[in-house]
Amino acid sequence: MPSDDPILKPAAKSEALSAEMLKPEPDQSLSDNPPIEALDPDPMASEAVSGTETIQVDKKIDKTNNDSEVSGTNQPKETPPIDPNLQVRIKTEKGNLCIYLPSEIKKEGSIISYAWSEIIQQIQQRLSGDSRSWDPNTPVRILANDRLLDTTQIQELADILVQANLRLKRFYTKRRQTAVAVVTCGFSVEQQTAQQALMTETTTNPLVADPMYVQMTLRSGTEIRHDGSVIVMGDMNPGSVVIADGDILVWGKLRGIVHAGAGGNAGSIVMAIQMQPSQIRIADFVARGPSNVPAQFFPEVAYVTPQGKISITQAQNFTRS
Amino acid sequence: MGRVIVITSGKGGVGKTTTTANIGMALAQRNRKVVVVDADFGLRNLDLLLGLENRVVYTAVDVLSGQCRLEQALVKDKRRGNLVLLPAAQNRTKDSVNPAQMRQLIAALAKVFDYVLVDSPAGIEMGFQNAIAAATEAIVVTTPEISAVRDADRVIGLLEANNIKKSGLIINRIRPKMVAVNDMMSVDDVTEILAIPLLGVVPDDEKVIVSTNKGEPLVLSGTPTQAGTAFENIARRLDGEKVEFLDLMVKDDLLSKIKNFFTKSI
Repeated sequence: MPSDDPILKPAAKSEALSAEMLKPEPDQSLSDNPPIEALDPDPMASEAVSGTETIQVDKKIDKTNNDSEVSGTNQPKETPPIDPNLQVRIKTEKGNLCIYLPSEIKKEGSIISYAWSEIIQQIQQRLSGDSRSWDPNTPVRILANDRLLDTTQIQELADILVQANLRLKRFYTKRRQTAVAVVTCGFSVEQQTAQQALMTETTTNPLVADPMYVQMTLRSGTEIRHDGSVIVMGDMNPGSVVIADGDILVWGKLRGIVHAGAGGNAGSIVMAIQMQPSQIRIADFVARGPSNVPAQFFPEVAYVTPQGKISITQAQNFTRS
Repeated sequence: MGRVIVITSGKGGVGKTTTTANIGMALAQRNRKVVVVDADFGLRNLDLLLGLENRVVYTAVDVLSGQCRLEQALVKDKRRGNLVLLPAAQNRTKDSVNPAQMRQLIAALAKVFDYVLVDSPAGIEMGFQNAIAAATEAIVVTTPEISAVRDADRVIGLLEANNIKKSGLIINRIRPKMVAVNDMMSVDDVTEILAIPLLGVVPDDEKVIVSTNKGEPLVLSGTPTQAGTAFENIARRLDGEKVEFLDLMVKDDLLSKIKNFFTKSI
């Protein structure tokens, strides 16, 4: 069998694949036990067990073959932050609103970064959900990085900002072609050299980013990534994802997938008014949601126990050193 | 090298995903190594139908972007270990993947599995192009409605244009009672237009809705259902067996006669 296949390295034999299959959750084929027994329908019974219940199945996500994350998962400092270039980021800086467009990632000759329609969708979602973080008429800088923009795309961006009551101030780009297009559209532009761009990138990446407020219902397919904590004021529907380097607080129903401490910090927690997740991940640990719905809900907190399991406990009992 | 079969229809809501889940499970019950690939990026459902939603950690896009290995993204079925799912990304759209990448993924899967079933999204745009990119065979699902048949016809044309010559037809959600009184297109009406070999006929069954909501494919249920048996037979035919078609008409006529008799007497 040819070994030059880039995406199926270890499958030299078919047995190798089946054995390796699904490292993240090894006991898939076992019984249908709900791994999270935390949400006991009978609150009294759970309180009898000191109010803390443990999720049975936790497993470290197998990241060993992931070249960028070979270093020990127990040292949060060494693990890189969630890839910030993956999604549109919006930040307020010195009275300006900065919109960072994700860069174009090329891999093996093909581009796998976001399509333009997806980027527009993300910007619109974020502008409507995060609007409390800025005042109307805030000047906006768009940092296009190495993304190639044409005049229709630039106009599209400008229209969105007008609708959101924001003032487009300036574009920043690394590519000459984009700069020319921006000028054609009548906006001001600053073309950065590669070195300059590198500088801005490091200065905008502080160790702990400001928390991000999201005020909307996160529906299926919405994914929020942030290199700090995320506060969701609204419900998370099944199929929505929040990935944060810090904690995740959901002031509503948590029914989607959450990944707190995505950078590797196992001390991160997930809090929700109604904890009903399909999956919780904290740092490198994964736990599946329960299949049965409890009769009553309490505000709850999910955290990683010293034994290395994800546990859920009622918020009122949650005390940590 | 395993068989790569795309399940497609053109029109939405005719039962592509239900068909994929059931045929996949039925083939797995016949001890074949099966991978079902959800090609419906952005609107994935196959994980729900298989009851595997909360086990998805990585998706096909994560594999393509190099964030995980292919084996890490494969979700092994909780009931049958020889059935695995390659989930689609829910947070992306169909434009985030191209046919070349799909071919690369599926070529890797076809080396290991006996069957690679690709669940195509509705429509004939990018998502469809991705789904059929690596397929060598197709299953066209349609319902006995003029719109579904029209779309299926278009899709068969596109499949042939893309050099997928071996395709089989599944007529889904047929209601024998309506066919009997000429209110619904019959199997013959549909096959006469589409003119590809008939792989199976699945009757309309309320149990399908129950099984979808439970995340348990019909073919798994202990009590045999008409639709479940139909899907099992399709899997057997796909596997090269000769199986008689279910005689839905007679059976249902008899049932309805009895039913009518009782309703009339009341």
